[in-house]
Amino acid sequence: MAIRILAALALALTVAAAGPTMTTGATALTVDLQGDPATLDPGRQYDTNSYDVYRNIYDNFLHRNPQTSAIEADVATAWTAVSPTEWHFTIRNDVRFHDGTPLVAADVEASLARILDRQFNSPQYANFSAIATVKATGPDTLTIITSRPYPVLLAQLVNLSIVSKAYMQAHDQPYANAHPMGSGPYRFAAWLRGDHVTLRAVPAYWRGRPQIDEVTFRTVPETATRVADLQSGRAQLALGLTSDDVKTIKRDPKLQLLGGATERVAYLAFNALGPGPLRDVRARAAIAHAVDAASLIRILLAGYARSVTELLTSRHFGHDPKIPGYPHDLAKANQLLAESGHAGGLTLVFTTSPTYDQRIIQAIQGQLEQAGVTVKIQSYDFGTYLQKIQSPQHDWGDLRYGQWSCSCLDADGVIYPLFHTGSIWSSYSDPAFDKAVDDARSTLDAAARRAAYSTALNVLQRDVPAVPLWEVVALYGADRHLHWHPTVDEQLFVADMALGQ
Amino acid sequence: MGRFMAGRLLQAVLVLWGVSTIVFVIVRLSGDPVALMVPQGTPADVIAQMRHTLGLDRPLHVQYLRFLAGLARGDLGTSYVQDAPALPLVLQRLPYTIELTAAAFGLALAVGLPLGVAAGTRRGGAFDRLALPLILIGQAMPSFWTGLLLILIVSVRWHLLPSSGSGTPQTLVLPSITLAWLSLATIARMSRSAVLEEASRDYVRTAHAKGVSPRRVVVAHVLRNAAIPILTIAALDVANLLGGAVITETIFAWPGMGRLAVEAIQARDYTVVQAVVIVGTAIFVLTTLVTDVLYGVLDPRVALAGAPS
Repeated sequence: MAIRILAALALALTVAAAGPTMTTGATALTVDLQGDPATLDPGRQYDTNSYDVYRNIYDNFLHRNPQTSAIEADVATAWTAVSPTEWHFTIRNDVRFHDGTPLVAADVEASLARILDRQFNSPQYANFSAIATVKATGPDTLTIITSRPYPVLLAQLVNLSIVSKAYMQAHDQPYANAHPMGSGPYRFAAWLRGDHVTLRAVPAYWRGRPQIDEVTFRTVPETATRVADLQSGRAQLALGLTSDDVKTIKRDPKLQLLGGATERVAYLAFNALGPGPLRDVRARAAIAHAVDAASLIRILLAGYARSVTELLTSRHFGHDPKIPGYPHDLAKANQLLAESGHAGGLTLVFTTSPTYDQRIIQAIQGQLEQAGVTVKIQSYDFGTYLQKIQSPQHDWGDLRYGQWSCSCLDADGVIYPLFHTGSIWSSYSDPAFDKAVDDARSTLDAAARRAAYSTALNVLQRDVPAVPLWEVVALYGADRHLHWHPTVDEQLFVADMALGQ
Repeated sequence: MGRFMAGRLLQAVLVLWGVSTIVFVIVRLSGDPVALMVPQGTPADVIAQMRHTLGLDRPLHVQYLRFLAGLARGDLGTSYVQDAPALPLVLQRLPYTIELTAAAFGLALAVGLPLGVAAGTRRGGAFDRLALPLILIGQAMPSFWTGLLLILIVSVRWHLLPSSGSGTPQTLVLPSITLAWLSLATIARMSRSAVLEEASRDYVRTAHAKGVSPRRVVVAHVLRNAAIPILTIAALDVANLLGGAVITETIFAWPGMGRLAVEAIQARDYTVVQAVVIVGTAIFVLTTLVTDVLYGVLDPRVALAGAPS
């Protein structure tokens, strides 16, 4: 009797453990995110967890081809720059919001206008601040006028999700945030903060009905739990895995490891304006040659990264394949150190935050030790870290590790904020570099821009304000029945996924 | 009793005001949230403008007065990060933390108390010798380790219970065992020593001499007198459980208040941190008050008036 009761209990628990149930025949996907989406309002978003969810609820103005990285039509079907500062767009006339109202140019205008409204306090303001006016000139035509030639306008408009003007006017901010309503492939169904967001497929979506009927995004902050969720079948896709999880995923026949090249570049930046020894370009070059990025990729990242010689990936606009980078060469590092007056070694402060993989920081410390450089690691919480390294006094230490992504695949979003004189991230200054990147952002002529970025990258190669380390690979664990190819811009479009048998 | 309650309520208000003032100052000492809210590459003037719109560039005393005025109305401000009123955000998470804490506390009490009493009444016996090392192991195991071990065995290997999440009774089992583990050991150890101390007293010898059955001696006499120290530890443990729930909530993706607190602190979401601390303090004050009342119920010698008798 007791055995029978135990067996029944075990069966009941097993059924319950299988997770959310769906109507027979429907396809459900559970995605484990690293954190809680902070907001589902595209204008107020700043974190990737929010982005991963709401991009499925809203349509986007433009689309980036995951294979070629080219910018393609989405809601906007055609565009032309009639002058260096005036752009005309035509938009689709068959898109409807989930409440049945048509998406028109006035909605695009409103989506941009709220981001540009300083009182609205959009974290994305800086990406669109070059826009002077935006005007719907008809139901399906739109004009954008920029205050200066803005070559990355289209790249930024890839990130623009379109909200309904009428819906945003009818509801207050907290309501619109808690009940997002867009025109995308999935409609909002439920949101329990800190736990999950559920979306349901829109059968009449203009691109066609998505294969997956329901998707639940769960917040699972602990990496080991995300992996356990995959192993126990509670989730079919887990984000934010590390090289430590590679073996576990690969060993499990029910799972697959998906590695996606990204536009994020890891780098080691120097304080070239501070009071420390790295004011001297020879000392900076010595450190650059002492770092062995290839070993770090092989040993720490299990091979899941690609070497780079500049702070751009080959897919970035402005990438120059001729930049040589800094090959690992300890003898040269020692020689450069001696030339800079540090033959007896030197001591540097490595400013960092637990946000970054501390194994990498410590491994770099170990590699520099071999060149006679003593590195003291000073770690701060991310907020304090940002405050320190962005201080105009440039008194934050000597070197720092970072990963840079502009979500725009353009050199303008990378090397301009990192190295332009006066930028809060920059502890470097050079008039020739400043002129080159200023020139590149003041024209729409692609050839002229490429030439200017080539000049700028050569200045950086000479002055060594940073060491480019690698192109980051995003690691996802998934059920082996999930068909999906991660994209370079790390977009999580569920409509591009399918669950097979 | 009436005077006692009035005095304690006044104390509670003072404690809440003091704690909210301290947390108001401390979160602001930790730095500015705006730098964490914008994408990389945002120029300094845009950051400054955001700071101004959020009112974070105003003098501290102006911000404090606004905070106090809001507090008096029960309005703890809007979360900078989550774009929603802070107090409802916290109150929405509170039932999950209470559910987890109550389940863990119930489990710790249901297992720890009989374990401790049994070990105490048979001091030096086989059971006592077996229970003591188990209690020590329980205290030595950190919850992040216990939790992951339970997930690996029960969820991944046996497929018996969900590895994470909330919403069904099954999802509560593993987190509450994980959270109860440490408290169980504390309660068992405390009950054992309290029972041991009482068992050597004269009234126990008298009861035995009168021919009262050993079970009745333990239940009616020893346990009643041992209840006060056990209750004290158990009440303190509720506060520990609430605090300790952070790690358990993180491991099991449980949407409780602890996790919200950690996320808010990391993002410097001032208003949410303040709301979490104020709500947490209110719970702690309430628990202490209930404990004090229970003292009076359990032991008539404890006078609730607080006046010397």
